[in-house]
Amino acid sequence: MTPGLHRLYMPHPANVRADDAGVPLALDGVAVEAVREEWLVEDRWWTPRSLRRRYFELALADGRAVTVFRRGRDGRWYRQRA
Amino acid sequence: MEIACVIDERLAAPARPGHLGGLGPGRADLADPVAAAEATEAMVRALESIGAAVESERSGEAFFAVGGLRGIHGGDAAGVLAVARQAVAAAGDGGAEAPARVAAGSTRLAAFVAATGWRRPLPVAVLGARLGVPEREAEELLEALRRLGIETLPALARVSPDQVADRFGRLGLRALRLARGEEAPLRPRVPHEELTARIELPEDAAGRQLDRALELLVDRLLADPRRRGRTLLGLRLGALLTGGGSWSVEQGLGRPSASPRVLRRLLLSRLEALPGPAEALRLRALGFGPAASDQLELAVRAAAPRRRRLGEAVREVRAAQGAEALLRVLPIDSASRVPERWATLTPFPEL
Repeated sequence: MTPGLHRLYMPHPANVRADDAGVPLALDGVAVEAVREEWLVEDRWWTPRSLRRRYFELALADGRAVTVFRRGRDGRWYRQRA
Repeated sequence: MEIACVIDERLAAPARPGHLGGLGPGRADLADPVAAAEATEAMVRALESIGAAVESERSGEAFFAVGGLRGIHGGDAAGVLAVARQAVAAAGDGGAEAPARVAAGSTRLAAFVAATGWRRPLPVAVLGARLGVPEREAEELLEALRRLGIETLPALARVSPDQVADRFGRLGLRALRLARGEEAPLRPRVPHEELTARIELPEDAAGRQLDRALELLVDRLLADPRRRGRTLLGLRLGALLTGGGSWSVEQGLGRPSASPRVLRRLLLSRLEALPGPAEALRLRALGFGPAASDQLELAVRAAAPRRRRLGEAVREVRAAQGAEALLRVLPIDSASRVPERWATLTPFPEL
């Protein structure tokens, strides 16, 4: 990153347990109450550094609303303010 | 107008090739910047004591207009210079061999040349120390002039400004103006009083101990009765290093202040640049503002004063906390579907 340039809303690794279909069941051990929304982001597919993310907006059992995504390249989960 | 130049080559950067400057290596007697700054201050104060309005922007150098002093000291320039020479010698080591040279000329450059003894025709190298830019930048310009066969000031003065501007830009024009004897008027400093505080440090003082010592030093300076309730405009923090030599740094305050909290905050960040263990710290006031009680807020509700105050606050915070202490959100691509592309934090702009 350029020195002196701090991007906001950077994703952070998340500990997500998901079912076979890839839908989150729990985040950091807290059960997912409902999936409020789900969407797919595909970008720069025409470049070697393509981006594919499957986003979920979750309502957790403790009342929090959070957004997570699963990275297409390696299947890792991240949390992000979105 | 006749201008006098007083130069002490022990304290100055090298004035001529082959001359050692006091700040350079090899001058153990006055090798450190704090000693040079203190000695220069003594020299300037000595000149101010004979009524001179002194401009001194480089270590070991001072300029003043001779005209106004003629009536006081003997009626002619030679009389004024003799009095200045005596005053500076008395302020230095007091000996007859006092090294400061005093001479007069029609401009600063002419006086400088007379004081430092350059021979005519004057080479362009004379300009090296007078351009007000880093030595390397000045040397590049002078080298380029020599390559073009312009080796003396008269030769440079004959070149047209357009040609100089084309080839050398702003710096070249500055050199041309100097060569033609065109200079800005003197900008004498406002004479100020001596106000310093010093604190000895315990062996290996570092970290919080050093911070605490600085707090004490600030408190001592502010408590000095000679301050008479006035605010300060700037400070010079110096340290005597355990391993020999010294270190100093100047800190402007942006606006007059006598708040210990503000002074400490500004100086603490500068203290981080201390190059090694110190055995003493010294703090000097560099000018006084109005008394703290006089600083009443004017009820001017306009954008400009607010903007000015904000600019001062930005500079103050940045000086105290570092360049990245104040950031603002810069929208980049708020329509992107990838949130980290929406915005970044960038340094808050100087106003």
